[in-house]
Amino acid sequence: MQEFIYHRPVTITELKESLCEPGARILAGGTDIVPRMRQGRFSSSILVDTSGVDSMRFIEDQGNEIVLGALTTHQEAAESALLKNINPALVTAAESIGCQQTRCRGTLGGNIANASPAADTLPPLLIFDATLLLQSLGGERRILLEKFILGPGKTDLQEGEFIHSISFKPMFGSWGSAFIKVGKRSGMAVSVVNAAVAVELNDKEEISDIRIALGSVAPTVIRCRKVEQSLIGKVPVPELIKEIHEACQEEISPITDIRSSEEYRDHAAAVIIHRALESAVEQAIGRGR
Amino acid sequence: MKEITVAFLLNGKKTTVTSLPNRTLLDVLRTDLGLTGAKDACGGEGECGACTVIQNGKPVNSCMIFIGQVEGTQITTIEGMMEKGEYHPLQKSFVEAGAVQCGFCTPGAILTAKALLEENPHPTDQEIREGLSGNLCRCTGYNKMIDAIHLAEERGGDD
Repeated sequence: MQEFIYHRPVTITELKESLCEPGARILAGGTDIVPRMRQGRFSSSILVDTSGVDSMRFIEDQGNEIVLGALTTHQEAAESALLKNINPALVTAAESIGCQQTRCRGTLGGNIANASPAADTLPPLLIFDATLLLQSLGGERRILLEKFILGPGKTDLQEGEFIHSISFKPMFGSWGSAFIKVGKRSGMAVSVVNAAVAVELNDKEEISDIRIALGSVAPTVIRCRKVEQSLIGKVPVPELIKEIHEACQEEISPITDIRSSEEYRDHAAAVIIHRALESAVEQAIGRGR
Repeated sequence: MKEITVAFLLNGKKTTVTSLPNRTLLDVLRTDLGLTGAKDACGGEGECGACTVIQNGKPVNSCMIFIGQVEGTQITTIEGMMEKGEYHPLQKSFVEAGAVQCGFCTPGAILTAKALLEENPHPTDQEIREGLSGNLCRCTGYNKMIDAIHLAEERGGDD
């Protein structure tokens, strides 16, 4: 295992100070970094362990916003009664990650900073237009999650900065959200394609608002705005799958890799968007009654 | 690289270790503390669960935790499951149900089962399968593990 200087801050101020040293990188749950360091695929001369910074592990309803501390684990998100009600897609996604052992260590902030095109918690956050609060010794700034992720493993995080928390606004009225993942098997699988859909229906049960995000079909997790636009005002019926598939073509750029083929991803993306839409619509109708 | 000192509760006992920070909990348990129940089967990738220990009530892969991340937490290993010279009900039921073949995955599977029963004293077969999904058994003895966990559950689960 490679060598590094190790810091373990316990307060936010100490964390900010530790990250000022050039080359310092953050260690959150470690489910990604520890194996990658062992394989020589990640290196850092200074590692700042956040396991002592308890004040960044929380799930809070602040009235007009839900705020999640960056160190909230996937398991904590999966078990949160608040999130089950406010963003069921995020709960399903968190439950689908790895296994208990990885969910109990891996964090939401880590999943975001890791910026994998296949990250499971990103689509459910993108459909809620989640915003990140980034902090550093110099101050803080807010950035849309969608703008923060720049490419595979690439983010807008600057030297000295860390993700403090993630926030999003709940939906109201007749709405629902769902997440569907296709993997090689049901447990311990990295997504071949994943999709999150949030939908709002008007009183004629037409789609009045829809947000769709896909993972594993482009260099980053993406919002499918063309598909969204094509569905506004429609009544959700099984035949919509054709329109979803056509609109989807213009937005995704899947590749063939060890997990799947371009052709399969292209087909599966539209299928799971449609299934997630059906599930979200069912919730929306339930809430509307 | 500077050594660090880490204090934690290991199987109910206050424990302090001094180690280089680039070592994992698994390495320290096995090499420094002589607790060889937790094992490395997948090469430290978090794929197999043979290194599972319980940290603050949750099953975790000790191969993916740097030793510094253990500071101030409670760790339970398979060696800490015996009480007053008696094997834990799960240990007995794994033996009785024949859920032990080569034995390499067994400590990890038992610890995952212990954490599962603490959260959910009466799991369904499906919940057990999902709970154990991070513990690979290459002898493929999964059905017997499910039997074993139900057997332990009937005997009062994790008491």
